[in-house]
Amino acid sequence: MNAINLKINGEHYDVLVKPHWSLAYVIREKVGLTGTKTGCEMGTCGSCTLLLDGKPVFSCLRMAIDAQGCDIRTIEGMEEENNGELHPLQEAFIQDHGMQCGFCTPGMIIAAKHLLEHNPDPTEQEVREAIGGHLCRCGTYIRIVRSILNAAAVMRTGS
Amino acid sequence: MDYYSPTDLNEAYSLLEKYGEDAIPIAGSTFYMGHREELFDEVEAVINIKQLGLSYIRQDGDGLHIGATTTLNEIFAHELTSRGVFGILSETVSELNINEVRNMATIGGEVCIAGEVDMPTTLLAYDAGIVIGGSKGVREISMADFHIGYLNNALEPGEIVLEVRLPQPPANTGGGFAKFERTAADLPIVNVATRISLDDAGVCTDARVVAGAATLSGIPERSGAAEAALLGRRIDDALIEAAAAASADVECINDFRVSAEIRSLWVKCGIEDALKRAVAAVRQGEQS
Repeated sequence: MNAINLKINGEHYDVLVKPHWSLAYVIREKVGLTGTKTGCEMGTCGSCTLLLDGKPVFSCLRMAIDAQGCDIRTIEGMEEENNGELHPLQEAFIQDHGMQCGFCTPGMIIAAKHLLEHNPDPTEQEVREAIGGHLCRCGTYIRIVRSILNAAAVMRTGS
Repeated sequence: MDYYSPTDLNEAYSLLEKYGEDAIPIAGSTFYMGHREELFDEVEAVINIKQLGLSYIRQDGDGLHIGATTTLNEIFAHELTSRGVFGILSETVSELNINEVRNMATIGGEVCIAGEVDMPTTLLAYDAGIVIGGSKGVREISMADFHIGYLNNALEPGEIVLEVRLPQPPANTGGGFAKFERTAADLPIVNVATRISLDDAGVCTDARVVAGAATLSGIPERSGAAEAALLGRRIDDALIEAAAAASADVECINDFRVSAEIRSLWVKCGIEDALKRAVAAVRQGEQS
């Protein structure tokens, strides 16, 4: 076992890991933050997406031991960043029913957050490209895209 | 299982030498982590090569140099690889529509996999060289010789890929890339890369037509017949169609994903599309 320290949503966590343990596994099972979902665990579904040093990555394909010293942001950190309120993206997903079972939602929202940080006024095509690696087995894509576009509009006007 | 993150090349080489075939060098980790269950019994040491300073893109008299641990998204965004003669690299990355994987996967990893990935197809069309390092020294091997079979490359135990080098293509050269897959996250079923050079009269003076992912050999292959159809002739749509039809010399694999017959058709369609893009790129380069 290797002792590592992970910085997740600004908090430091000491954990013991094996080299082949994925970041997704360690965050869920050892740190206890279960907002990040694990679906396929082989990089094809997108549900484990989180931000690593500001970039979206599949945490199932990242070794936890290789995430030391990185700034990790998960779905749990979004309210804190937004002064304890739900993030406009989270509000929009509720408002526009951007989910059915909700399993893909954290990954979708993290990918969308990265998109809107870099492109506050995306086209529908750009939204679809940003969630290109994310599967929604309920098939809610149309409402997910609408939620992201509506959240972008809210964030631009700041209301 | 042991884990190392060496910070200089000699340290990395001695670790690779110590563990031999039981070591796996990783950078983006997407391939290793995606196959960790199959690889678990085979791997004794994971050697992270990301701290070796192999993440760079630069150009000099020898051409374009891309460090092995440069990520696909870095290639996608960099000024040297997102436009101009090497813009084909960014075009190739854009066909993998998973931002999360592009942020992790590296060009060195793509080159080593020798399976269903896109970059080696483009690199073969651009006569790339693979720079390999080990405790015995540094050597360069052509992309054409680096892949020796499906999931099999020319690395000896103790060696790693340091860099991918693309020679400067002649003036009036353009490239095109085309790909067929089921979904954004799917592995390619067929990918195709082309590179053509034209003289002032529009006559093709040099051509590469490469198909990957679909081949029976499992590695990217040049279509000699399609290239021969183009060389020395004036480029127009009819010639492009004839060259695409000649690509039937690439033998395609028949498997549960797609039949060989359909793959051959898609290779032909992809080559036609990629050649048209290559011609458009030449014309665009002439204007700028």
